[in-house]
Amino acid sequence: MVVKHTNSPALKEKSVYGVVAEFDRPEALVAAGHQIHHGLGYKKIDALTPFPIHGIDDAIGVPRSILGYIVFGFGLFGLLNAIFMIWYTNGYDYPLVIGGKPLFAWEFSIPPMFELTILFSAFAAVFGMFALNGLPKFYHPIFEMEGWERATDDRYMLVIEASDPKFDIEQTPRVLSELGALRTEVIAK
Amino acid sequence: MIQITKKLTGKKYWRSLDQYYQTTEFQDWLNKEFPTQAQEMIDEPSRRNVLKLMAASFALGGLTACRRPVEHILPYSRGVENLIHGKPLFYNTVMSLGGSATGLTARTYEGRPTKIEGNPDHPASLGATRGYHQASVLSLYDPGRMPNVRGDGKDSDWNGFTSYVQTLSGSLGNGAGLRFLSEPMNSPSFTAVKKHALTRFPAAKWVEYSPIHTTATAQPVAPRIAFDKAAVVVALDSDFLGLDDTTVVAVKEFVRGGRKVTDENPLMNRLYAVEPQFSVTGAAADHRFRMKSSEIAGFAGALLSAVQSQELKVVGQGNSSADKALSAIAKDLAANRGKSVVVAGPRQSGAVHQIVHQINQALGNVGPVVTYLKPASDQTRPQLDALKELAGEMANGQVNTLVITAWNPAFNAPADLEFEANLKKVANVIYLAQDLDETAMASKWAIPAAHYLESWGDAVAFDGTASIQQPTIQPLHGGKTAAELVAFVSGYKDLKAYDIVRNHWLPVVGGEKAWKKALHDGVIRPAAAVAGSAAPVFDTATPAPPTGGYEVIFVPSWSVFDGRFVNNAWLQETPDPMTKLTWDNAALVSQATARKLAVAMGDVIAIERNGRKVEGAVMIQPGLADDTIVIPVGYGRTKVGQVGEGAGFNAYKIRTSDTFGYGGGFNVSKTGRVYPLARTQEFEYQEEPKLVGFQEDVVRPIVREGTIEEFKKNPHFATEMVEHPPLKSLYGDYDYSKGQQWAMAIDLNACVGCNACMVACVAENNIGVVGKEQVARGREMHWIRMDRYYTGPVDEPQVVTAPIPCMQCETAPCENVCPVAATVHSPEGLNDMVYNRCVGTRYCSNNCPYKVRRFNFLNWHINEAEVTKMVYNPEVTVRMRGVMEKCTYCVQRIQNAKIDAKVEGRRWLKDGEVTPACAQACPSDAIVFGNVNDLESRVAKMKVSPRNYGMLAELNTKPRTTYLAKLRNPNPELQPVTAAEEHHG
Amino acid sequence: MADLAIKDPHVTPVLVEGNPSLHEVTNDVAQIVEGINRNVPVQWYIALAITGSITLLLFAMLGYLVATGIGVWGNNQPVGWAWDITNFVFWIGIGHAGTLISAILFLFRQKWRTSINRFAEAMTLFAVACALIYPLFHTGRPWRAAYWLLPLPNTHLWVWPNFRSPLVWDVFAVSTYATVSALFWYVGLVPDLATMRDRATGLAQKIYGALSLGWRGSARHWRNYEMAYLILAGLSTPLVLSVHSVVSFDFATSVLPGWHTTIFPPYFVAGAIFSGFAMVVTLMVIARWAFQIEHLVTIKHLENMNKIMLATGTIVGYAYATEFFIAWYSGNPYERFVFINRAFGPYAWAYWTMISCNVISPQFFWFKKLRTSVAFMFVLSIFVNIGMWFERFVIIASSLHRDFLPSSWGYFVPTWVDILTFLGTFGLFLTLFLFFVRFLPMIAVSEVKGMMAHQQMHHDAHGHAAKDGAKTHDASPGLTPVTGGGH
Repeated sequence: MVVKHTNSPALKEKSVYGVVAEFDRPEALVAAGHQIHHGLGYKKIDALTPFPIHGIDDAIGVPRSILGYIVFGFGLFGLLNAIFMIWYTNGYDYPLVIGGKPLFAWEFSIPPMFELTILFSAFAAVFGMFALNGLPKFYHPIFEMEGWERATDDRYMLVIEASDPKFDIEQTPRVLSELGALRTEVIAK
Repeated sequence: MIQITKKLTGKKYWRSLDQYYQTTEFQDWLNKEFPTQAQEMIDEPSRRNVLKLMAASFALGGLTACRRPVEHILPYSRGVENLIHGKPLFYNTVMSLGGSATGLTARTYEGRPTKIEGNPDHPASLGATRGYHQASVLSLYDPGRMPNVRGDGKDSDWNGFTSYVQTLSGSLGNGAGLRFLSEPMNSPSFTAVKKHALTRFPAAKWVEYSPIHTTATAQPVAPRIAFDKAAVVVALDSDFLGLDDTTVVAVKEFVRGGRKVTDENPLMNRLYAVEPQFSVTGAAADHRFRMKSSEIAGFAGALLSAVQSQELKVVGQGNSSADKALSAIAKDLAANRGKSVVVAGPRQSGAVHQIVHQINQALGNVGPVVTYLKPASDQTRPQLDALKELAGEMANGQVNTLVITAWNPAFNAPADLEFEANLKKVANVIYLAQDLDETAMASKWAIPAAHYLESWGDAVAFDGTASIQQPTIQPLHGGKTAAELVAFVSGYKDLKAYDIVRNHWLPVVGGEKAWKKALHDGVIRPAAAVAGSAAPVFDTATPAPPTGGYEVIFVPSWSVFDGRFVNNAWLQETPDPMTKLTWDNAALVSQATARKLAVAMGDVIAIERNGRKVEGAVMIQPGLADDTIVIPVGYGRTKVGQVGEGAGFNAYKIRTSDTFGYGGGFNVSKTGRVYPLARTQEFEYQEEPKLVGFQEDVVRPIVREGTIEEFKKNPHFATEMVEHPPLKSLYGDYDYSKGQQWAMAIDLNACVGCNACMVACVAENNIGVVGKEQVARGREMHWIRMDRYYTGPVDEPQVVTAPIPCMQCETAPCENVCPVAATVHSPEGLNDMVYNRCVGTRYCSNNCPYKVRRFNFLNWHINEAEVTKMVYNPEVTVRMRGVMEKCTYCVQRIQNAKIDAKVEGRRWLKDGEVTPACAQACPSDAIVFGNVNDLESRVAKMKVSPRNYGMLAELNTKPRTTYLAKLRNPNPELQPVTAAEEHHG
Repeated sequence: MADLAIKDPHVTPVLVEGNPSLHEVTNDVAQIVEGINRNVPVQWYIALAITGSITLLLFAMLGYLVATGIGVWGNNQPVGWAWDITNFVFWIGIGHAGTLISAILFLFRQKWRTSINRFAEAMTLFAVACALIYPLFHTGRPWRAAYWLLPLPNTHLWVWPNFRSPLVWDVFAVSTYATVSALFWYVGLVPDLATMRDRATGLAQKIYGALSLGWRGSARHWRNYEMAYLILAGLSTPLVLSVHSVVSFDFATSVLPGWHTTIFPPYFVAGAIFSGFAMVVTLMVIARWAFQIEHLVTIKHLENMNKIMLATGTIVGYAYATEFFIAWYSGNPYERFVFINRAFGPYAWAYWTMISCNVISPQFFWFKKLRTSVAFMFVLSIFVNIGMWFERFVIIASSLHRDFLPSSWGYFVPTWVDILTFLGTFGLFLTLFLFFVRFLPMIAVSEVKGMMAHQQMHHDAHGHAAKDGAKTHDASPGLTPVTGGGH
């Protein structure tokens, strides 16, 4: 059990981003997270994992994603967009008699209507997701963590931010260690 | 027409141009480039020579705007009467071909003739034309034309020739050694010049020769047959609807007389064709029998004795189907005394014509139907005798001066006369050359010939009606007319064609006013009397051609006639009506003969007789007489411009004076080589054994046909040929009941498949010529095509032809699929192409059930000579590559007519005020165009006929172009060949 | 595909062999990109030289075409479309496997997809890129087709596209498909790009860093990420089915016998999946051998793909039979003739090539021995690719060359330009692929790791799962890692 010495003068409380604990198994991460959140009542918790781990959301209280609503809205917009485009171009702006067919009809408009709905939804899904995640964000204090690279390889990190009211630069790392962290580290802002 | 008061200014004006005309640049272009232009059109369009052509292009370009005949038309500076810039001017003129004159109207833009139409007032045209006339305007702009005077094989000029003639005329004396060789004479003014020449040189001789004998030149007499008065026609080796005559009068009268069937009282004439080839006449026949040419005489004899004997029980001595039918035919003729006719073709000997005359006499048809007229030519003896004599004299040096105004005898004279070799034995040969051809190369002097559209002349029609040949443009290459040349050689210096013609006619018509009227009308009335004897003399002296072995029949070509149009791309690319062959001729043989020779389509065979041999590709055509080889002449030119060189093979090489029309005794052998033939209609069942079994699956109600009896029983037989579910549209239909709605109706019973519509369309719409390779690839551009379907047994087939323009479907499949709306419908029901919007997906063409859309796969105009571009119709866009195009119903004509109507304050056009090019050219008036909402219009009347049906209408395309079903009028005594149940595949 | 769905979790087949650690997996995949000890194998450069020059050939041919006109191809009247649209449909068809694997198999919870989806999606994008060349260039004047087909106001006549035209539907369907596939692919890449970033140094790190947008695997991010992935899968599934349906409308909505048939949409989609999987197998067999990742892309993966080929191939064969039956049953002479002509006419050779490659050859996959033999499936997948190309050629050329009026019947012969252009598209396809395997992780590492952890869990929770297998996912305690956000 390695506890890095943290109360050096260089690192004052207010300049601390938070403390991170490293686990080697997802189950351990989830158990620890559950204890920290529900047991000890920490609020500002985050988990950094190489792949999504279910249960962690409930364990550390991550709310449900609202992305679905955004996508639906944009999908609908795409559909209306298509209908208007076809009606305006072929039915209104430059009406032409083509094959004796009407200027506008829903029958021959279906394929573009469908495709534009999908297209707009897809854009909403992808860029909405990035927006909700606040990406791109090319710098984050956590990147400073020693051995961070394993967080996208085979380690599972639990972060408690210093802004958490219950955060204590002495206590919190110890708690985490007790919950089975391989090691903990205090990260500067 | 205007005559300018002071010629001086005009002369000055032109002289300066003449100097310009002599620029070395221009001369180089004319002399050097074109003889080396070989193969261009035959090969895939190459861009090699475009720059070379450009080099001198603007020289001509600069001239085009003002090359108007000096004598008549003022420069714009003076303001020409009737002329508005951009508006066409029409000049009546006349064209002679194969001894027959056809009155024409030339449309000119800023002094460029661009389109030829028939002159409705002319008896031999009646407003219609043949493809030759339509295409003749392109020959005017042929870059391969004789560019300048040539003397002793070197470039020279008119002055050089003048001095030569001065020295020569001294040596001519009374003309003992002087001979003239001309085309069959049908020009009064030229005949006058001839008389002058022969009076000046009493000992000189005049020979007329044309390699194609038409009814105008076949015999000492000119039979005039009023086909509209004949209820029964028996054609013996006669193609009177086709190329027996270059005029259209026979077609007009035959169709008018018995093929325009009315619904109220359906009457139809009956045509029996007995022939070795498969002519369009045979295609139109109600009963067609194939028979070797050599057997025709026997058949005619049997028919004669049959009609003479009271109980018509005689049967022919042969056992061909024709002989079996003989008594039935005889009965039919006898039942129609005084209103039937038997006609023999020009390839048949005088003896046969005499028998035919006797039959007609026995039937009392001479008079009511057949009359004999004085030929236009005053020549009394058979042409070939005169030509033979001339050749003999040339051979043994009796001729020291020969003036040739006939077209290219070195190429087209009978092979046994060795004309080309004999020309070398003549000291002074003066030749009026269209282009630098075989004869020009063998002559001492070659003078560029003036095209009929650029020179003065005249011609008299079969009934004596004379027409003035009016020029529409200055001679592009300073050409001379035959009359000018002969007059010049016989000492009439500086006698211009204009003076020759005018001096001849002014007294005849009586005064300036009448002269102007004659020019304006295009005909001179009253016609000269031409009534001949009722008991004509036939040339029975000439022995019948040899028989035995394979029989070869020499027929004129639909494309090149006798070879003079070989450099005419429009005609070369127009498929033969029956074989659908382009850019080549072929040795046509029947299936049985092909099997006997063990040859297939395209195999090259050698045809030989008495050491004279020619090699050519075989084409199998159903329905030919067995052991017969039909060869269109005129191909295989060696000295010719860029278009025609290398096309086909030269049948004249084996055409001797004893086998002039046809002849037996030919040996045929397989060479083992194969020659690619480019046909526009490829599919033949006999070529695909695997599919023959499924023939019923391709039996399609496309060209619908029935007998007149079936029509009487059930007038709606045509529409009832197809069963289909009710034609409902998903959206309901667009309302076309308002305004003028353009439509076309084509009477298949009238169409004889002569291709005039195709060439007219090409000329009117600037349609690109793609060349042989591209035709073989299936990229020909014709907006209207002539479909030909065989029906019945492969050995005794019948043929139907159908012109296929765009159907202008109201629910056009092509429009729906165009992604960029480049083809849309006009409120007047036209299926418009927007060239500058088209991106070229070709989806419309794929989705067109009629496949009438044409795509510019390459830029077809890229290697066109600048001079050729003068032929373009300025009213029609020249399409670039990557653009789809198709029949527009000649929308430019519709628009112009609407503008004119608007000027007169009308919004509704009168029926017949607009006529598309195809309909205007059609000799049989099969194509009718008009406004269907005008219930009085001809087209509206045709649309309500029970025979009217829409091709593939079961697809719910609602075609605007519809067809009147074809009818046949078989002799009840003979097994009807066609039945309504039998469709065409 | 239901028959292929793995119903019972505790009999989950081993999808990763040799039971490597997560770190080993990361290494195995990343090292393909980084190169063993950071140096690129020379074979890669050789391969690139070859495919690159073929690609240049493609550009040369297209240049010649644009300069001269469509006449340099063999197209004619009546065969207005020939190799151009044949190749277009061929490539689009191949482009279907990727999205299918990433979307449909995802929704079907097919864990085995994780090893191949990245690869297949890349193939989709490159195939679509090749396909797009043809609609653009088959007009001979791409500078017009390029933007007149889109509903952009143009200074030229101010005409708009005609939305009645299936070609315009195509423009929308194919471009949407290309865009969504690209997005889907990129979204899947982001976590792995982060992994690459954290392994890389210097410039590479900056580039991967920029591409991964600062991804750090936060639980909150994963939450939205999974949702986005699920939605994209849900959108792509109807999309992938719609694309080839719309392509088939080009033919189905025409009046041409042999084209005008309602069976086309499902028949085309099945054919597309068929050809797509064939191409994946062809390429995957090479890739797994070349990069020694047989333990990540196991025989099981390949066998499953072969099963799908067997299924879709049989569907395609059934469609052929139906076409013939309907043609006969309709009593429509034009329809009848087209099919008789297909089998016995001038293009019979093409037709029977198609039948033997597409209908007969996949039937060998009924035998486990054969569908698990790498050599055999490689050869057979190539046969299927050939067969599917011929299917498109037969549909297009043999229907066009003899339609309603026998007078306008013809025959199509390709020119050397046709042939070299088609060859060139393969050059482009492979070149893009070489770049892909060189610079991007060709296996979805994070998904594979998730899937491994999932198996791990199942082995641990064996007894528990055995009680109620199907519900295991939901029933298991909050310890269920999933691949790429499976629920």
